[in-house]
Amino acid sequence: MSRVVGIDLGTTNSLVAYAENGRPIVVRDDNGDALVPSVVSVGEDGTIFVGREAQRRLLTAPSRSVYSVKRFMGRGIEDVQEDAGLLPFTVSGERGGVVRIGLVDREFTPPEISAFVLRELKHRAEEHFRQHGEFDFEIDRAVITVPAYFNDAQRTATRDAGRLAGLEVLRIINEPTAASLAYGLDKRDRGTIAVYDLGGGTFDISILKVEDGVFQVLSTNGDTHLGGDDIDRLLVEAVLADIAGPKEQEAATVEAIRRAVIQAKWDLSEVEETEIRIEASPSSRAGYRKPITRAEFEQLIRPLVDRTLAPCRQALADAGLQPTDIDEVVLVGGSTRIPLVRRMVEELFGRAPHSELNPDEVVALGAAVQADILVSGRREMLLLDVTPLSLGIETMGGVVSKIILRNSTIPASGREMFTTGVDNQTGVDIHVLQGERELATDCRSLAHLHLRGIPAMVAGLPRIEVRFQIDANGILSVSARELRTGIEQAIEVKPSYGLTDQEVERMLIESFEHAEADFEARLLIEARNEAESVIQATEKVLRRSDTEGTASELFESGERERIDAALAELKHVMTGTERGIVQEKTHALNDVTQRLAETTMNRTVREALAGRNVKDV
Amino acid sequence: MSPEPIPVRASSMLECRNCGAGAPLDEHFCPQCSRILALGRHGDYFSFLGVPRKLALDGADLERRFRDLSRKFHPDYFYNASATERLASLERSSYLNDAFRALRHPVSRIEHLLAIEGLPSARSEEGTAKVPPSLLEEVFALNEELDEIRELRESGAAPETLRARLEKARAPIETKRAEHERQLQELSARWDAQDTAMAADRHATLEALRERLLERNYINNLLATIEREGSGLEAPGSGHGNPEAMGPKP
Repeated sequence: MSRVVGIDLGTTNSLVAYAENGRPIVVRDDNGDALVPSVVSVGEDGTIFVGREAQRRLLTAPSRSVYSVKRFMGRGIEDVQEDAGLLPFTVSGERGGVVRIGLVDREFTPPEISAFVLRELKHRAEEHFRQHGEFDFEIDRAVITVPAYFNDAQRTATRDAGRLAGLEVLRIINEPTAASLAYGLDKRDRGTIAVYDLGGGTFDISILKVEDGVFQVLSTNGDTHLGGDDIDRLLVEAVLADIAGPKEQEAATVEAIRRAVIQAKWDLSEVEETEIRIEASPSSRAGYRKPITRAEFEQLIRPLVDRTLAPCRQALADAGLQPTDIDEVVLVGGSTRIPLVRRMVEELFGRAPHSELNPDEVVALGAAVQADILVSGRREMLLLDVTPLSLGIETMGGVVSKIILRNSTIPASGREMFTTGVDNQTGVDIHVLQGERELATDCRSLAHLHLRGIPAMVAGLPRIEVRFQIDANGILSVSARELRTGIEQAIEVKPSYGLTDQEVERMLIESFEHAEADFEARLLIEARNEAESVIQATEKVLRRSDTEGTASELFESGERERIDAALAELKHVMTGTERGIVQEKTHALNDVTQRLAETTMNRTVREALAGRNVKDV
Repeated sequence: MSPEPIPVRASSMLECRNCGAGAPLDEHFCPQCSRILALGRHGDYFSFLGVPRKLALDGADLERRFRDLSRKFHPDYFYNASATERLASLERSSYLNDAFRALRHPVSRIEHLLAIEGLPSARSEEGTAKVPPSLLEEVFALNEELDEIRELRESGAAPETLRARLEKARAPIETKRAEHERQLQELSARWDAQDTAMAADRHATLEALRERLLERNYINNLLATIEREGSGLEAPGSGHGNPEAMGPKP
């Protein structure tokens, strides 16, 4: 049985982990690096780059590169205007529809971009397991984390991304809850925990009660548009305002500034004073240097950090608790490394927060624990989460009638009765929303449902029971039944900010086609590498025989000529794109050098063994 | 209004969709093949959680039952099960969560009791729109007071003056609410003490509980009105826990 991995699909970085005998382990590359930057870049020839390489390309090919795509998941163009300003890629889409990201000549939806990141993580994990000699190393199932405050559309978009990456998403779990699972492993006693999660793009606060291994979320709150990205943007804007003269606000410049301020931000978590430093380059001719102190930095970002406090207070109130009722405070997310954030959290809860586990890795660890719970059947631990937002439907006058209240433990269900307004009406439209406000226009539109096939009756007579079910992923499904006839109603769902199933299917097919193209490109590169190494090995022997003057004893008659010819031919075809020909000529060179290879090997062995006793061998 | 309580414990049985054996309504797992049972027609929240139909419940015991049943039903543990069992797990978990939410708070517990005993909802729209007779006097006085406060505000009175007037307006309503809390507790204790044989007395208790709940909802609305009136005077200070975490907040 193949493994199930836990994936933290972050705004800035993503990573994958798995559980071994109940203990979670993060997958690292050869350099010990676990984090894959959530950056995707499309090469001029259509090659997809993900991670560090894509991050490098942000400077060299900014208009072909995307970062922080998580902020666009399940959102509409009207939500993201504020972000779009400083971004190197174009953001478009119809009002009230899915955002489209334009990279020069190709358009992608956010789930498609996220799917590239997920595919990279999947490959990483597979490579890891293959290297560890596992027979069944392929990964096709995962638990993926999302911010607790993600709405239905954002969760569904994440699940779609998983599907597009060829992963069956067993569960979507909330990041702060995942973190608490990872912490809970070591301290499984009872208590009330607050998890403060300030990441690259989102902020979450969750209050949990832990008892008998049951991690029950009491309340959650947050802001899906508040994180390190916003801090970076403040700093970038400050630098842009500071650059005198003609502003070179082209993408590469902004990206260079962004990189410099991020470095300065990191520095200021360690030291009291640093410098924002942009080296002179073609895009930034003069370069830029400006000292910045921690105090100045804190003054700049304080309003942002302040914005996290109201959700914290609301979550406490919803849980019916005072700050002093909290036993432990856990910090998650890279932005909690900022000393000001730590101070403010400590001040609010009146106790020093925990940060023993790496705040960048703790969410993935928790996801791996949850994956293990799902497949192992072990029942020591159980996570009971809540839905972050109330679910309702639009009624007369645009008022929202709430059906499932926020902070309800999930799975949760609710029912609502509908009837017809005119005789023989066979269809009913229902507008489903999420949010706490009274009016539909102030809430988040999730979908328009259309009930069909209602039995023809006098107006007001049909009794249609619509059942709303939020599953353990926090994702909604709807079913309806006419109670007089018992007929199950067909429902058409038109998601407001999501992809329809048909769209996901189509993308899946396209991604397979592209995957084939990507795969083909990789095989070609491998074939070229193989050719290259054969050429080098051959040339090495030839050079050596030339310098040592051993050609006469090495080569049979005409052999040297045959080798030279094969070598020239391979070099000639190597730069072509026909993998078959590259391979063919590689084999040809291999064949004509076969005898030579054996001879030189024997010589080497003979030389190595010369003067040694048979027993030593 | 029908005075007949709905017979909740019907004689009907659940049928196991796996082995076809019959099971009592309150069972969660088939007594024969031990598979999780489809929810089907259920009993009520009290019997589902295995507690008596009383209004004084031990909170810690309730929580323990909730956790234990969560461990039995949760979809996490049915990942590899058949589609029928997965659905049963989803439905039972949802129902369990609803049940715990309803029984955890004394007021929603009363509301559920009224519902399963066949009384109309105490939360209905008509219920809150009509002024309960026992509150007429207070409502009249409050409306006059609020009108005066609004006039004062328009004529530019100092916020402190307005706040003081609002506090004065709130006091009698708060007193009324405290009185209602006491009455609800008293009636709850009466319900718990009454023998099932005393059908008529029990029904009277339920009717009285419903009356108090309707009035209580009305009182809460009045307090919310005063709150709204006051929130215009100053920015709300640091958040305070609402002791009545019932229903949605504005």
